[in-house]
Amino acid sequence: MNDRPAAHRAPPSSPTVGRVVATELKPSTPHHFFFWTSRDSPIGIGAIVRVDAEERTVFGVVTDGFAYSDLQTPIHAVIGADGDPAGPDEPSRRTEIRLYAAAVLRHDPEEPVQPVPLGAVRLADDADVVTALRMDGYAVGEKRSGIPVGVYAAGGCEAPVFLDADFLLGPEAAHLNITGVSGLATKTSAVEFLLASLFQTFPAHKGSIAALCFNVKGPDLCFLDQPSDLSDEDRRLYARLGLAPVAFEQVKYFAPFKADGVNLNTLRTHEALAANTEPLLWGLREVLDYAEVVLNRDDVDAKADAFISFLAERVVGKEFEDATLPRRFRVRSFADLEEFFRAILTVLEEARGGGEVWRTHHIATIRKIRNRLGNISTRAKGLVTDDGEVNDLPWGDFKDRGLYVVDVAGLDPLAQDLVFARIVSRLREHLERRDLGVDHVVVFVDELNKYAPGDGPDTYVRKMLLDISERGRYLGMVLFSAQQFRSQVHRRVVGNSGTMILGRMDGDEVALPGYATISPATRARLAALPKGELLVRHPHFTQPVFVRFPRPPVLSGREGIEMFPPRPEVSFEEAVVRRVRALDPSLSSGRILEAIAGRREEDVRRALHATIRARPEQPLPFLVRCLGKDVPIETVRSRDVVLPVRTSGEYY
Amino acid sequence: MRPSIGSCALSRATTLEPAAPGAPALPRLSELRRRLAGVAGLVPATSEPIASRGRPEEARIIPARVLETPLVARSVGPPEPLPGPVAFLDGIQRCEVLAYAGAMPLLGADVAAAVRERVGRDLRTVHSERRRLLIGRPEALALADRAATGVPTIALSTEEPPHPLRDLDLAHSAAERAREEVERSVGDRYRRQADHWLVVDGSLAESPGWARDPRMIGVVKSHASLPVGGEDLRTYLELPAGHRSSVFQPASRRHAPVYAWGLRLWDWAGKDLLFGLVRVEAAPVPDTVASADRISRWLLAERSPLSADGRWDRLLYGIHGVEAYLRARQ
Repeated sequence: MNDRPAAHRAPPSSPTVGRVVATELKPSTPHHFFFWTSRDSPIGIGAIVRVDAEERTVFGVVTDGFAYSDLQTPIHAVIGADGDPAGPDEPSRRTEIRLYAAAVLRHDPEEPVQPVPLGAVRLADDADVVTALRMDGYAVGEKRSGIPVGVYAAGGCEAPVFLDADFLLGPEAAHLNITGVSGLATKTSAVEFLLASLFQTFPAHKGSIAALCFNVKGPDLCFLDQPSDLSDEDRRLYARLGLAPVAFEQVKYFAPFKADGVNLNTLRTHEALAANTEPLLWGLREVLDYAEVVLNRDDVDAKADAFISFLAERVVGKEFEDATLPRRFRVRSFADLEEFFRAILTVLEEARGGGEVWRTHHIATIRKIRNRLGNISTRAKGLVTDDGEVNDLPWGDFKDRGLYVVDVAGLDPLAQDLVFARIVSRLREHLERRDLGVDHVVVFVDELNKYAPGDGPDTYVRKMLLDISERGRYLGMVLFSAQQFRSQVHRRVVGNSGTMILGRMDGDEVALPGYATISPATRARLAALPKGELLVRHPHFTQPVFVRFPRPPVLSGREGIEMFPPRPEVSFEEAVVRRVRALDPSLSSGRILEAIAGRREEDVRRALHATIRARPEQPLPFLVRCLGKDVPIETVRSRDVVLPVRTSGEYY
Repeated sequence: MRPSIGSCALSRATTLEPAAPGAPALPRLSELRRRLAGVAGLVPATSEPIASRGRPEEARIIPARVLETPLVARSVGPPEPLPGPVAFLDGIQRCEVLAYAGAMPLLGADVAAAVRERVGRDLRTVHSERRRLLIGRPEALALADRAATGVPTIALSTEEPPHPLRDLDLAHSAAERAREEVERSVGDRYRRQADHWLVVDGSLAESPGWARDPRMIGVVKSHASLPVGGEDLRTYLELPAGHRSSVFQPASRRHAPVYAWGLRLWDWAGKDLLFGLVRVEAAPVPDTVASADRISRWLLAERSPLSADGRWDRLLYGIHGVEAYLRARQ
């Protein structure tokens, strides 16, 4: 007998609903047991139960259910009904068993590890749920670190379920991965709710936190600062979880321009939302450091790498002078770089006998790099600027509980890769130096099937996601990822996620061997899970549990689009007016139009970008200063033709 | 010294069960056998010779008085559900040889009976009673006295000298009487509590009270004793499904007169002559004759669901439920 006092054991408060049964064919083990209930018991798949025996209390979660009667064979039913299935009901209801299989969540006492005893089975109450899921170690007390993820609901019990911040955001374990079918808003809603919960309950003693979300499709994450109209039931759930149903307060949106350089490439273009929507605009310097992202695998050889390094270290952003070149170069933009390349290639082409090497770099390598880098400004037009103006995330000035959304939904895949790579790399650099402005950053990436596939080429983005999932927690960088098919995501990315959430699943997906540890009944429930319910696996939970979560406190993409319809693409002048008025709504359209009238588009674009970046007190005068003096276009009169001097062809 | 935990667990595995609400707990037969194994003069035993399994009921024809002459097969009409709540009563018995005192067997008997009442379509147990007994000659019982303190005993007659096979037969008969007594006990308790229809497995004639009860029905599955002979017997045994025989009054009943009739629950063609044939008993009053068709229709409705038993053609599901309940608690 174990004399250790039962630390957690509290007298049961709910009535007995079942009895443990164990036979030679279906024995109890320390990890599984069976129990029967009456036909009308509230037990169901996912219900948490407690078994009380003399010296042991066991908590378990129902993983499967069976029902059968004493009917010997189906033919006996036919005989009994005289072959008429529509006949009257049998006067006596057959004896029927409701047999449930349960997986053990916790034993009390924990040692010695013994099979589950024969005992009375009760539905778990609030306190039992806390004990069963081992939440008593982190969800209560002064240094609590519980993050509400939803409520466990069964048989009239509705108990909050908490994740442990130490195991969600590190340092013990980290990362969260969500799988669910598309179209039911499970994944996005769950992440939005969880981020809201995280921002409200992240314990002060663990420092500050921010989140960075990549909006990769449609308007999903475009309205996180707009409150939604929640039902009473949702508000009740928020209250039960101790959360306030409020939208995110500090949200900043970043979206690249469209190819015209003035209209933002996002669905969040409604004028009412312009105040916290900024362009994401990078120049040559920002791109060059991540050039390998946009080079395909065959391009990345030692020679190309050496030449890119040469450009990055010696040329871009510096005064560069070479005796072979006709002049001194100061490369700040793609336009400057193109001039620089042209100069090199001219030198090589004009060299006697046809030059092939410039400063140890072969002409073929130079041509290849020129071609690839030139492609960037074409394929990522709107993100990458030719003129050197930059507007970037507030590196070093991230705010506690700040939410930063980068909308890459409208970008070319290559440009998306570039955005991922650069932003995540910068996050990592700043977190390593501890100068990001916050201690922890949650990075949310949807469509992980696409960005970290289990097969296919080893891309830079996939390597980067692997790096976050394997080492991010030491830095405070946590990956929240989502996908429709977990089986198609790189195993190390999902494997390193301490917390796994499954929403409504595709039947084919959940039938794959990767889900074999989940019982057939649980898998069947997953395939038909209603919106708002999730299966959560967390390091503290011995078995995954079903939870229900309220609607997120923000507008969904569809609602947002209806309430804040994107404005249609406007003319260049109108777009400039709107961008400037976003900085100072008191300005009249007429004044802005007057200021840019007759100016070249590229000049206006450069001045506008500079103004957006500087955010001056008085945007219009600043814009005008950036535009510089208007030099009217003059028509040059053709001179009279001067005939060449006739020569004999001999110089001497 | 560290306590032994293995044997302790075995000992505690033997559970005690109350005979009836409020009655003291009784040891199981296996526990009794274990206790008797240590008694001087007793040799433990675990089986009994095949020849001692009791004689089957003697097959004979005991002519009955036919009340609806001549004896014919009558269609009873379509099945009709029993109105309101109805109860089912059955009992079980089990005998085991526990030890021998020389040539004298000492048997343990486990007898039980229960009433399960059906309200709506659900059956639930309303009364049950179990008795565990020691049966043997007085000398054998005296040897076991100390090891089986508190266990009721039945002493066999000592008129004849000990003979193990005869004593075993006598012991089985004693156990059967004990079972009938328990059945009457639970039946009477139920009748004091409720006046719903009570369907009993077996004959009502064992109890004068039951035989008089206008709301009791006995369903007899055994046909060792047949009520008629000759051409009437053919009519009786070839009843088509859904037909009953004329009502008759069985003769030579030990305790009480009843009215009875044969009823074919299932078509027997291609099976056995007795397939689906039961003898129905009810109180010996004129109303019974008038109600024979109606009661038969009720019993036809009780054919379904089929019992999970090899005797499903004659074993009503309600009766089967009582038996299953009692065996599950053995």
